[in-house]
Amino acid sequence: MSEELLTIKDLLVGHAGRPILPPVTLTVCAGEAWAIVGPNGAGKSTLLRTLLGLQPGIAGTMRRAPCTIGYVPQRHDLDPTVPGRVIDLVRTGAEQRWSFISPLFPFQARARVERAMRDTRVLELAREDWRHLSEGQKQRVLMAQALAGEPRLLVLDEPTSAMDMAAEGVLFALLDELRLQRGLGVLVISHHLALLGKHATHLLFLDKDEGVVRAGPLAEVAQDPAFVQRYGLLMHQPAGGHHA
Amino acid sequence: MPETTPGLSAFFEAWDLFREPALAGAVAGALLGMLGIYVVLRRMVFLSAALSQSASLGVSLAWFAQVRWSVPAWIASPTTGGTAASLLAAGAMLAGRSSLSTRRDGVLGWVYLLGAAGTLAVGTRIVQEVQDIETLLFGSGVAVRPEDFTLLVQVSVVIGLLHLWLHRGFIQVATDQDGARVRGLPTRLVDALLIVSLAVAVSVGTRILGALPVFAFTVLPAMAALGLAVNVPQALPIAALVGGACGFGGYLVAYRYRLPVGASQTLVAALAVAAVHLLQRALAAIVALRNRQRHDHNHEHGPDCGHPAVPHGDHVDYLVGGHLHHPDAEECHDHGPLAGP
Repeated sequence: MSEELLTIKDLLVGHAGRPILPPVTLTVCAGEAWAIVGPNGAGKSTLLRTLLGLQPGIAGTMRRAPCTIGYVPQRHDLDPTVPGRVIDLVRTGAEQRWSFISPLFPFQARARVERAMRDTRVLELAREDWRHLSEGQKQRVLMAQALAGEPRLLVLDEPTSAMDMAAEGVLFALLDELRLQRGLGVLVISHHLALLGKHATHLLFLDKDEGVVRAGPLAEVAQDPAFVQRYGLLMHQPAGGHHA
Repeated sequence: MPETTPGLSAFFEAWDLFREPALAGAVAGALLGMLGIYVVLRRMVFLSAALSQSASLGVSLAWFAQVRWSVPAWIASPTTGGTAASLLAAGAMLAGRSSLSTRRDGVLGWVYLLGAAGTLAVGTRIVQEVQDIETLLFGSGVAVRPEDFTLLVQVSVVIGLLHLWLHRGFIQVATDQDGARVRGLPTRLVDALLIVSLAVAVSVGTRILGALPVFAFTVLPAMAALGLAVNVPQALPIAALVGGACGFGGYLVAYRYRLPVGASQTLVAALAVAAVHLLQRALAAIVALRNRQRHDHNHEHGPDCGHPAVPHGDHVDYLVGGHLHHPDAEECHDHGPLAGP
């Protein structure tokens, strides 16, 4: 059985003590790719922030394996007025807990930073100003930043927004490759259902308006009446060969 | 008879007289310039204004206590008053911290207004110190006591070393707070250290230079440095250099043209920002011109343009004169020379 990286049971998320979704229960194991889908305002980002520990849950339990989490924020979260080269941005991802108090840490983390950049194919961009990169390149740099901490669980918030379809396909293929190479558990918010149908192994479907939460293997949730009612039968290509 | 302005040679001939105030401007400018990087990156420019006004209020209250209640100067010293008030203000801001930026801005505004109005109100009760109050608000480091200068240097060394040691943590918290929290950095502690060190630097600087130049030094050198540096660690020493130069240069300009010192230091720093902006614009224009010369073709790149198509990462470029050209909706970008095998 694969290692359990994140287990949540009856987790209620919301704001100011007011839940916005029914309780969520799921377990993310190493090698699984969970896609979080739902209409705009469905509560996806609130759930993600709660899972990352950026805001407290209202009720329920959450257990994380003692491992590092890699977080890939939305690209527009980055401040374009902050100067920096690609290598600078990726290095920040290597810093964990109190590592910043050690002057030697950048030298100790060099191998991890290089591996992350090589795996995401941004090594040749190391000295470039990250602000001048294409959207696809920026996204790969953010993935390198998250991987520099050698995480077991990788969490991505809408990684392909504002990308063309070809770039989206390249990115999801890379994500698959990284997941299988490194045995990562992946949690990704995305609206691109056709790509998720090819690359996800599990689905978490949220709909705040209808009070619906469905979590489970892709084929199972994609055939759930609530999901079909919202999206139809769009996801007709379950991920056969992409499971770990 | 026309008034003559003193020459700079006279300034350096009388260096013993001007040493402390001129160097105080340089040291405070360097320290506050470096700290200002975090202020500008976190879009909390108003933070330093609020802290400097709080320090002004603390200094005024210390004078008030001496004049009205005869509290001994060693207890109610202006430096102690300024530091205590700015630390209290920093505490209020840390306590009032919220994910809602409107709330945070509101707390900053409250601290600023309380400090500014309080300083003016207290000033009316200590008539013989009114000149000092004006100096405090607008800055006039004409004369600096040796003990104040020594304190400024000591504070600068301690805070400078602390920031040299922990700068990676400060940068992470200033540029990517969510990411730093996910990676387990002690963001609250780092944040508190940053604000407390800023409060101490601002209070000591305000006591010596006045609120206006202190506010200027925590904003303008950082703006210039962020426009010049390739990354944030590089921006820190550049901001310190720019701040130091503006502090010293502003004092020289004030001497040469008989201007108030605080106003002169602020103007020099503002001009430095404008100069960097112009320099950036000029460099961008040169790069654009060179790009246009390199891209001297009267067609748009595409599958039939005649230039070889080269896959480059997640997109396709076109090879022109050994360089990869990448067209987008507005212009053609040079993606560098074609890499060898």
